[in-house]
Amino acid sequence: MLTGIDRADVRRPPPSSLEEALVARYAGFAGWLRTNDFHVTSSDVAASMEIALRMGQLDSQVLRWSLRALLCSRAQEWRRFDELFDAYFLAPNRRKLVETRAGGAGRIERDNGAGLRDGSEGMPLSLASGGDGAAALPNGSTAGQGASLEASLGYADFRHLNQPDELFAIDAAIRRFAQRLQGIQLRRERRANAGRVIDMAWTVRRSVSRGGLPLDLGWRRKRRLRPRIVLLLDVSRSMSLYSFFYLRLARVLSARVSDVHCFIFHTRLVGVEQALRDPDPWRSQERLQLLSAGWAGGTRIGDSLDEFNQRHATRLLHSRTAVVVVSDGYDAGEPARLEQALATMRRRCRCLVWLNPLASRTDFTPASAGMQAALPYVDLLAGARDLASLERVLPQVLSVLQ
Amino acid sequence: MATDRMHDVVDLQARLAQHGFIAERSFAATLLLTMEMRRPLLLEGEAGVGKTEVAKALARLLDTRLIRLQCYEGLDAHSALYEWNYQHQLLAIKLLEQDDRPIPDKEQDIFSERYLLKRPLLEAITTTPAPVLLIDEIDRTDEAFEAYLLELLSDFQMSIPELGVIRAAERPFVILTSNGTREISDALRRRCLYQYVDYPGFDKELLIVRTQIPDVPEKLARQMVEFVQSVRQMDLRKKPGLAETLDWVAALLRLGVSAIDADGVERIMDSLAALVKTREDQAGLTRPVVEKLVASC
Repeated sequence: MLTGIDRADVRRPPPSSLEEALVARYAGFAGWLRTNDFHVTSSDVAASMEIALRMGQLDSQVLRWSLRALLCSRAQEWRRFDELFDAYFLAPNRRKLVETRAGGAGRIERDNGAGLRDGSEGMPLSLASGGDGAAALPNGSTAGQGASLEASLGYADFRHLNQPDELFAIDAAIRRFAQRLQGIQLRRERRANAGRVIDMAWTVRRSVSRGGLPLDLGWRRKRRLRPRIVLLLDVSRSMSLYSFFYLRLARVLSARVSDVHCFIFHTRLVGVEQALRDPDPWRSQERLQLLSAGWAGGTRIGDSLDEFNQRHATRLLHSRTAVVVVSDGYDAGEPARLEQALATMRRRCRCLVWLNPLASRTDFTPASAGMQAALPYVDLLAGARDLASLERVLPQVLSVLQ
Repeated sequence: MATDRMHDVVDLQARLAQHGFIAERSFAATLLLTMEMRRPLLLEGEAGVGKTEVAKALARLLDTRLIRLQCYEGLDAHSALYEWNYQHQLLAIKLLEQDDRPIPDKEQDIFSERYLLKRPLLEAITTTPAPVLLIDEIDRTDEAFEAYLLELLSDFQMSIPELGVIRAAERPFVILTSNGTREISDALRRRCLYQYVDYPGFDKELLIVRTQIPDVPEKLARQMVEFVQSVRQMDLRKKPGLAETLDWVAALLRLGVSAIDADGVERIMDSLAALVKTREDQAGLTRPVVEKLVASC
């Protein structure tokens, strides 16, 4: 994960000509960006060369702006590009850059956490071996109860994220859910009774042989509108028994359903959508690892949801979005802040579902301050702590989405 | 030489300014690249930061047509590429009843270019000299439409089953804009150059205000821009964009405001409808808040 330019340079034999040196330079830069999570392809290397020849290589500013326009394709990449460009092209400043959990860029030393590194499976950091006193559970989560304001400085161990047995079971459940989700008819679709319109091109073509009389009508199906799902997973200490289960669920859901957006929150909000969608399970684990600082720490649900409203709501929430919050409602923040954040969120989405693992208990009452604040804005409050209870809940979720 | 290229960038920046568009030097470099490589440019950023204006300014600069495709949910290929003129086709079929030619010949006649209605994308690739094609708010369409765009943006050609492949006589200058309401596919992104457009800083916004509304006095313009910059720092549902700034400045001038000071708070309150556009944001800009903002200007 932390491979970088220095090592890449060592492996490669010295270039024999100026042309080769240039190719090596830009191919190396593309690799450097790829290492830092940029979506750069091999054709971009050729285009980089073309741009370098076209715009010149002696003026670093023009080269920087030109390569930035070519090699960036997202706002996050755009914001990080200058630092990465400097790190690669300005020799004295070559440093490692990795994505922080806030999605920004942070400079770190290559290997200063020897005690935290778990080299056996390529997992750099692990709570289980970190010796910080946290009780490690068999599924890789940590036990603890109650909400606190404190951010955790620890990282989680994601080795068990891809446990095959549970993944298969969840996958089967989610496959059924996804199939039924495909079958959902929204109100607008129901109004358009048959859901089909006349295909004029086809009809005209068929009518030529009948002297232009459109006796045989061609039909085409209307495009179906599917709900978007935003998952907000509480991974604070009090949720540590359930966090991994829900993360597996999110991973399977992201693979099965196209329009799913996943965030984890504790004392702050972190987007994990790209990491979960990574087809390589080991790389997915490593990416989650980097994002996991604060895992099993304190809880500030209101602040986290407010952060979501500020940074992502405009992009993700609309009249077809279903927001699913997974949390036990133990919040160390101000209930008023949570209430305000949920009110804002509810106004902008189609429905708000709250899955509380504790709610599957028979004696459960939503007595916590967080749950009390949330109840007026929640369309469905349901309990789901394991696969069996989740399967009971999914039909209810579907009925709310309709 | 690199220095020549920097000179080209500065020159383009100046020419854009002459056509009423204020761009940073880095933005001018991206536009220069777009013009030279004829590669589509994807502009991403919040609504109201001036993305659409880039295409308009480019069309003015190049003295060419601006062809705009406004994307929306449910936009399909027929509305964006081409449609057949069905009424005329049906009429033609009636007229061809007396024609003894075989049906395939008649059909070829009916599906000829004569009955083709060009929509923006087809219009753009068949127009010379090369126009500026603005594909506005691409994130509002769906994945299926993006797939249609891929062929167009990589090869500048499109297939019409009845007519065959139509290739661009001259590559248009393509600008795509996105507000980021939906994630655009990697395939589409890869075919484009990319520029993220942020809210303008103080200096740039001041320059834009002075350029667009030359009547506004220097001191008042500075105060107004300072006020808007402060409003953007607030916790708002929709931050005011450039268009809102210009509307608000025009509104204040019409209300006869000559300075942003305590005496003008009442009129500033009256004009806020031009600056913030949601009920919650207007409720948040209470009189004490506005007084505080005015005091800081």
